[in-house]
Amino acid sequence: MSILAYNGSAVIAMKGKDCVAIASDLRFGIQGQTVSTNFEKIFEMGPHLYIGLPGLTTDTFTVLNKLKFRANMFELKEDRKIAPDVFLSMVSNLLYERRFGPFFVEPIIAGLKPKTFEPFIASMDLLGCPNKPEDFVVAGTASEQLYGMCEALWEPDLSPEDLFETISQALVNACDRDALSGWGASVYIIEKDKVTHRRIKTRMD
Amino acid sequence: MGSERYSFSLTTFSPSGKLVQIEYALAAVAAGAPSIGIRASNGVVLATENKYKSILYEEHTIQKVEMITKHIGMVYSGMGPDYRLLVKRARKMAQQYQLVYGEPIPTAQLVQRVAMVMQEYTQSGGVRPFGVSLLIAGWDGDKPSLFQCDPSGAYFAWKATAMGKNFVTGKTFLEKRYSETLELDDAVHTAILTLKENFEGQMTSDNIEVGVCDDQGFRVLDPTTVKDYLANIP
Amino acid sequence: MAMPRSYGGLSDYRTVPAPSFSPYSENGGSVVAVAGDDFAIIASDTRLSTGFQIYTRNQSKLFKLSDKTILGSTGCWCDVLSLTRLVQTRIKMYQYDHNKVMSTPAVAQMLSVLLYYKRFFPYYVANILAGIDDNGKGVVYSYDPIGHHESSKFRAGGTAGALLQPLLDNQLGMLNQENVQDKTYTLEKAHAIVKDVFISAAERDIFTGDRISINIITKDGIREDSFELRKD
Repeated sequence: MSILAYNGSAVIAMKGKDCVAIASDLRFGIQGQTVSTNFEKIFEMGPHLYIGLPGLTTDTFTVLNKLKFRANMFELKEDRKIAPDVFLSMVSNLLYERRFGPFFVEPIIAGLKPKTFEPFIASMDLLGCPNKPEDFVVAGTASEQLYGMCEALWEPDLSPEDLFETISQALVNACDRDALSGWGASVYIIEKDKVTHRRIKTRMD
Repeated sequence: MGSERYSFSLTTFSPSGKLVQIEYALAAVAAGAPSIGIRASNGVVLATENKYKSILYEEHTIQKVEMITKHIGMVYSGMGPDYRLLVKRARKMAQQYQLVYGEPIPTAQLVQRVAMVMQEYTQSGGVRPFGVSLLIAGWDGDKPSLFQCDPSGAYFAWKATAMGKNFVTGKTFLEKRYSETLELDDAVHTAILTLKENFEGQMTSDNIEVGVCDDQGFRVLDPTTVKDYLANIP
Repeated sequence: MAMPRSYGGLSDYRTVPAPSFSPYSENGGSVVAVAGDDFAIIASDTRLSTGFQIYTRNQSKLFKLSDKTILGSTGCWCDVLSLTRLVQTRIKMYQYDHNKVMSTPAVAQMLSVLLYYKRFFPYYVANILAGIDDNGKGVVYSYDPIGHHESSKFRAGGTAGALLQPLLDNQLGMLNQENVQDKTYTLEKAHAIVKDVFISAAERDIFTGDRISINIITKDGIREDSFELRKD
């Protein structure tokens, strides 16, 4: 089994109309053994900016800390908050610096661009190759299941309420068919003037 | 080790707290050809003298106004070879920024980083300070900016300024002529006028250089365009 | 001190390592089966491929075993052919021996035995069996390559199995949906969902596409249907 599937995870982000959503499962396990069922994989990196770091948990934390360091240095040096597209470049760069001994994470970024509040989502492989589609991005051990769900459920210009329902259904049903992810879920809906964080109950097996 | 004795910085404090090496560097700048920078409402202009000591020089081969990125340009007063090293470093830093963040470097960032290089040369061993002051013009999304960068590593944001030979009279002239509502075309005109104040001999499109920076980016004006501006000057 | 490796000597370049024999290939394809109260639907895509090459866009992976039973089989296509020929032969033998058509649950059990018979050199196939049982009720069985099997209301298998299955759980099993009283579905609804899930799978799985061939099994016999998918 790939080291990317050692701990198990599922992360997903979707675009809506003037809003974006990012969600993840809450399981932390070591192969088949579930260790924690309250493990967040999504982190706030600024106003209207979130990153999900599925993959090998130890690298999740290392990458998160390195990113916080770089983002903080950026904000101090430039006296401005980092924008999602700039942050994407930064993450991509960080990962590619370890091209021949990579961090085993597949980051997903979701946010709103400053000033225009245009929705932004992006994903990356573990080497930092960026991907910026118009609809949704998925990653983790349940990525195949997530693709199947999203491809059927997603539609353009979803309202924040509909986007919440869509991303939750996609995530929960995908996780239910993946042994390594699930055990509760965490959903962020990011709008211009508010961010809503909800915990969803799922089947726990 | 014996060699360590010679690796101390030459820039050493004098008992009165001055760094005389930096003052000498500033003297080199003040002896150099004059440069003018004016920030207008819709762009920035950089202008400088580019005189030749002999009629045998091939004109327009050596450039003093240089582009750093699409939206940033630079000019200097002082020593040409020192300037070219800084241009090289500035271009490299701008491209590095683009590579890491996927967007063009903000002018203030470039200035800060170039200033850092200049500071390093006042405190490192085996080097001397740069014999140049820089004028850096940039356009960041919706606003123009003009910076001056000195050999000490100090930098300033100007509305308009003059450097090099006769910079004091140049500044006085600009203080009288500058207005907040100035537009780029008038700023080019004013910059050339300021140069002309202390110009020795006939000013032509072959012995001055002008660069402008606006929402279209940075560009060095070609001699025919400069000629058109000169035609409007009494 | 390390000895220098020997140079020259004919044996050095005559001992070329033999390429290791790999008996299996992956030819792709997906199958979806749904059982209803009085019907069963089974569908497969019609793309046959190897890696980035497509052998044909028109090869159904459904095998009619009787008027009541259809087997969907994907994976290593040569194993699919060998296995289905064996199954068909054994069904004929059953008919001659017992003088009756083999029931769907009986085929299901026999298929398991045939797969397990090759426990240590398995058929590299994902099987889904659909049909109606002796009471006219729809049944679906799914298998792993060595004969483990399970009966369920609906199942997706093949290269896009992971993409299709959670959709079926959600849309047919009504899993994770609130305030659902009626969990039954009509043939028409099942038919429509089967098409929908294949459209989704064809978007993301390069081994699934071109067309789906759908078989609807009722007590009145088997009805065939076809539906175009993206061909890239």
